[in-house]
Amino acid sequence: MPAERAGYTVTMFLVDVSASMGKTRTVDLPDALNGEPRTAEMTNLEWALQFVKLKIQEMIYHGRKTEQCGVILFGAAETKNMINDRSGGYDHVLNYIDINPPNASTLAKLSELQPSEEIGDPIDALVVGIETQRTYLANKKTWTKKIVLLTDGENPIEVEDWETIVEKMNTLEISLTIVGVDFDDDELPFHEENKSTIKRANETFFHQFTAELENGVAGTCALAIQEISRPDVKTVKSTLMSSILRLGDVDTRSDEAIEVVVKYSKCTAITRPKSFKKFGKRQLPHGEQTDPESNLWVELKMQTKYVLEEEDEDSDVEMKDGEDGSEDTKVEKGDGKKEPEALDKETLQRGFKYGSTYVLCPDGSFPKLDTRKGIDIAGFFKAKNFRRDHPMGEVYYVWADPNQPQQQVALSSIVQVMDKEGVMAIARWVNKDGAEPKMGVLCPSVFEKVDCLLWVQMPFADDVRKYTFASLETLVTKNGEQILKHPYLPTKEQMDAMDNFVDAMDLMEAGEKDEEGNRSPWFDTRLSYNPALHRVKQALFHGAVVSDLNTNPLPPPHPELLKYFTPPKRVLKRARSTIEDCKTAFDVKQVPKKVARQRKDGHVRAPDEDEDMLLLDKIPPRTQSQLRASASAQRLPVKDGSGSETEDDEELLLDQGAKPSKELPTSGPEPGRIVGRTQPLEDFRRNLVSGDLVSKAVEDLGWVVRDIVLKPFASRRTEELLQCLRELREVCLKEDEIDAWNEWAFRYLSLSLVSCH
Amino acid sequence: MAPYDDWNRIDEDDEDELQDISWLEGKRDVILFCIDCSESMLELRNDSIYEDTKTCHLYSALEAAMQIQKRKVLVGPNDSVGILLFNTSRRNESTSQGSEIKRNNFVYQPIEQISAPKVLELMQLLDAARDDPEFLRTEFPPLSGNKRVPMGDVFTSCNWVLRDGAPKTATKRVFLITDEDDPHPGAGGQRLITSSQTTLLDLTQAGVTVEPFFISTEEKPFDTSKFYSSILLPTNLEDTDASLLPESIFITRIEDLIAQMRIYEVPKRSIFNVPFQLADGFVIGVKGYGLVTEQKKGSYKYFVDLGDKMGVAGSKTIYADIDDDAIVEVPKDEILYGMTLGATTEHYEKGGRVVPVGSRVFYTAEEVKSFRSMGLEPGIKLLGFKDRTELRFEDNVKHSTFIYPDEMTYSGSKRTFGALLRSMLAKAKIGLALALTRRNAPPVFCALLPQEEKPDETGWLEPSGFHLVPLPYADDIRAAPIDEGSRASGEIVEAARAWVLKLAVKNGAYPPDAYPNSCMKMEPGD
Repeated sequence: MPAERAGYTVTMFLVDVSASMGKTRTVDLPDALNGEPRTAEMTNLEWALQFVKLKIQEMIYHGRKTEQCGVILFGAAETKNMINDRSGGYDHVLNYIDINPPNASTLAKLSELQPSEEIGDPIDALVVGIETQRTYLANKKTWTKKIVLLTDGENPIEVEDWETIVEKMNTLEISLTIVGVDFDDDELPFHEENKSTIKRANETFFHQFTAELENGVAGTCALAIQEISRPDVKTVKSTLMSSILRLGDVDTRSDEAIEVVVKYSKCTAITRPKSFKKFGKRQLPHGEQTDPESNLWVELKMQTKYVLEEEDEDSDVEMKDGEDGSEDTKVEKGDGKKEPEALDKETLQRGFKYGSTYVLCPDGSFPKLDTRKGIDIAGFFKAKNFRRDHPMGEVYYVWADPNQPQQQVALSSIVQVMDKEGVMAIARWVNKDGAEPKMGVLCPSVFEKVDCLLWVQMPFADDVRKYTFASLETLVTKNGEQILKHPYLPTKEQMDAMDNFVDAMDLMEAGEKDEEGNRSPWFDTRLSYNPALHRVKQALFHGAVVSDLNTNPLPPPHPELLKYFTPPKRVLKRARSTIEDCKTAFDVKQVPKKVARQRKDGHVRAPDEDEDMLLLDKIPPRTQSQLRASASAQRLPVKDGSGSETEDDEELLLDQGAKPSKELPTSGPEPGRIVGRTQPLEDFRRNLVSGDLVSKAVEDLGWVVRDIVLKPFASRRTEELLQCLRELREVCLKEDEIDAWNEWAFRYLSLSLVSCH
Repeated sequence: MAPYDDWNRIDEDDEDELQDISWLEGKRDVILFCIDCSESMLELRNDSIYEDTKTCHLYSALEAAMQIQKRKVLVGPNDSVGILLFNTSRRNESTSQGSEIKRNNFVYQPIEQISAPKVLELMQLLDAARDDPEFLRTEFPPLSGNKRVPMGDVFTSCNWVLRDGAPKTATKRVFLITDEDDPHPGAGGQRLITSSQTTLLDLTQAGVTVEPFFISTEEKPFDTSKFYSSILLPTNLEDTDASLLPESIFITRIEDLIAQMRIYEVPKRSIFNVPFQLADGFVIGVKGYGLVTEQKKGSYKYFVDLGDKMGVAGSKTIYADIDDDAIVEVPKDEILYGMTLGATTEHYEKGGRVVPVGSRVFYTAEEVKSFRSMGLEPGIKLLGFKDRTELRFEDNVKHSTFIYPDEMTYSGSKRTFGALLRSMLAKAKIGLALALTRRNAPPVFCALLPQEEKPDETGWLEPSGFHLVPLPYADDIRAAPIDEGSRASGEIVEAARAWVLKLAVKNGAYPPDAYPNSCMKMEPGD
């Protein structure tokens, strides 16, 4: 199917508001949090309108000016439509919303609809709809015309002239969708019990009517609502961008070089979920009357302010001029803190951070790179040596110019050779003259009737990080001997169990059967919808069309979104015994989460006693080492002879982390606290070393100190507590926890002390 | 003002993706270069690059330190470095913090944030040393009589220097550069070895990693078994079996020193740590690392001219109800989320959505998060296996991440992971997995590409593990816009074959090392 031209569409919604649409029905809702099934009562009109609203919501979502709709009611109490205005007739047909790009007020107006006391004829509405649409599009002949008719089919229809209408609709190329409340459907399946004779006749008529149309369908409302949340991929036609593929030195050795005029377009492109808009309740000024029954929620707008950044106490900002680095201007910090003042963006200058110095970058001071637009092939390499883990981004197609057959032949020859020889090309890609070059590879791609190249960006040397990891294959002792048996290495038995597991979990023949009955591989990227994207869309739409999420919560995600979330049942069944074998063979155990780790205080110092003394004497107060040394001197006997350390190490294998002594902080913090009362400073430091819980550690040390102070015998620990405070203050300064310190010191501690004295 | 963006930057499509690890980049890195200054390090040799120039190992080591500092200026301007020299009789100035450093250890540069003047200072020192080969010897005289300072003192000094200068939450590393494989031989050595062990353990427990760079020459080969293998510890105390040799010992030729250090330039940091579920009830722990990431240049800042000085302007984003001139900021916890009211809001009476009291039509931030994550908890879930050939070239949207087992969350992870890796390599299979690596991220289908470990030419071991290659969703795949074109006939193809083969690259692969990013070199003040 050719990609439909996005937008340029007018959809007429013809909605039946006859008295019969006021019949109520029970609609299933998603289960409540406690698992109880929930239902809601609503009229057929309310229920069926959800379909119309979701359709309109989709138009709002796309936000195109050329995607428009109008709403016409039939069975309305009032009569107002263009045919009636002109020549009368067509009673109870009301032009409810004029053709326009829809917005939220369109939805609000639909929500106000109530069933009337009248009876409406869908054919009348259809004629009015066709005419209204035709008149509106008189000068826009190429626009797509759609009509959606919503009815319960309970009322008599004037059917005499229907063939003429079909003919007219076919001439005007109008497509018609009839959505029927409780129409019978074999696919769902649904068959209404006690269906009235008139409705049965009408359903038959509607099917006959749409069958005669070149583009018509009639279906049941339940299926229509369900399918509206089915993920679908919008076919985006990628734009073709121009470039030149060069091979060899075109300028100096043009006889040995070639150029091919090419176009490139996206082959993969990340589609991100539409973002939610932020809403806030409008605060009305004092004295103004507010509606006690409702609130006005408005879309919030983002605003960026620039404020003068406060520098750290002791860091000067040195300014360097972009062109001449010699003139350094020292900047002193102003006295006292002041309110950050908003700055006018116009007065700001941009610069770069050059370590602790900044360099202003005045207008035009960045030289353009001397690069030329195009794709330069630097060489070819064997495709089997391609590192599949290196590509860094989206993939592009590179085509020969579709209007130049000669260029097509040239590119085709390169692609064919590359394909036959099994090589890829290393290429440098420049988007436009003077732009940053990118390095990447070109891979040949041979389609049924055309050849092209695929491009993907590859890393520069700076982009590849060579971290070191311990080998998983070869373990060597410190004496240089290789260890063959170790808890880190799988045994023969474990390898067998794993091999069986991998075989059993194979997906190559776990998918759908093809025409010949052979199973295809399970999982296809072309059918794996981005669950977040479609779920977000569903949530956005739902929130926009319902009047209350409490009574009408978001339905569960469409099953199509979850189909790849678990391995196929057949495969799991086949693998069940191998999974059990693996569990037994590998015996993996979760290591309990630990709050803090006890440090090996025995090894803090060298065993040399003199050394310890020296340390104590030399270091000025408030340093970590002294505290550690004194702490260990007070509480922990220094372990003698760390020569035994290496022997200990031999035993510290796999279960090292699981030893209870290392698991729990001996000081026993309160649940939820990571600093305990017994050795607060030790706990605190340990958490700082591990680094990720600084704020928590600061908070907890503060809490513990206060706690100890307020308990009896606090005076015994005065020194220790003062030490805690000094270190806490130091850390707060260094780690930007100044607010925490201020708040704690002034609010909690002083208050607590006052209250206890 | 020419905005930075205009400068050679056109495609910013994947801006969001690059944000992924920004919180990591925020963590500071501190490197203390700890360089041996002994007689043999100062011995003059013919320079490997410049003829008629004599340089020494110390010169090369300082130059490497300078190069790393220069790079850091761009890629990690918040990082700090320092330089400590040992086995020198130069005294620390008594006024500085150096006064408490052990004898014969000299703090040349205390730990400080990278800055242009510091790099300049080092460059001037190197220039002087190049002009006068004896300069370094006079500046940093080696200990006489081939005496050596106890390595225990060196580690203790490192500890103090780092303690005084490094933020506690930073990654702290010591780059130890020496050519002496046996600093404490003979009878009295055992005591010194023991003290080295304990001081090094102390250093490690203070959160410092020691990365040794051992210089080996033909006349003086470096043998780790003499001294270092008995004292060096694995980089991560908890993670690794202490009886095993640490993974990262570099023995290098002096010419390769810079290249070796470059490998360590960025500290190894994991970007996530999640359970890896092979099947129901069969779970191990893994950590994720970004091995292929676009190296970003330093970010620009705004400055304001305050007359007498320049101030740094920080930006602050607020969300507000802006109605004509009135701007009312809405606190973050009062914001709710919903669908835009449409492009033509101005037609909409009252400019907002009227919601009856007690009804709810907007979602909370928590709900929005759960729509994205589909309510899943972070983790990697194995779905099954496919042939290696099923991972196509075009199934790519962004860079891969690398996963490696973590014994600390699940004991037995390494053997299980290792077995899975071996089995998949033997069967030429890839895995298919559903991965959610961050709480606010959407779940992604990934290919698990097994990586076999193999040493490269520099001696670095290409690690064992899986590359997690994110696959495109159906929504991300664009159809080919062209389906027909003229094609080359057999003869033309044959003609093309000749020069395609002629242009085949020697070593036969895409070599990232051969392509340094030219843009990274073009910076003001460079």
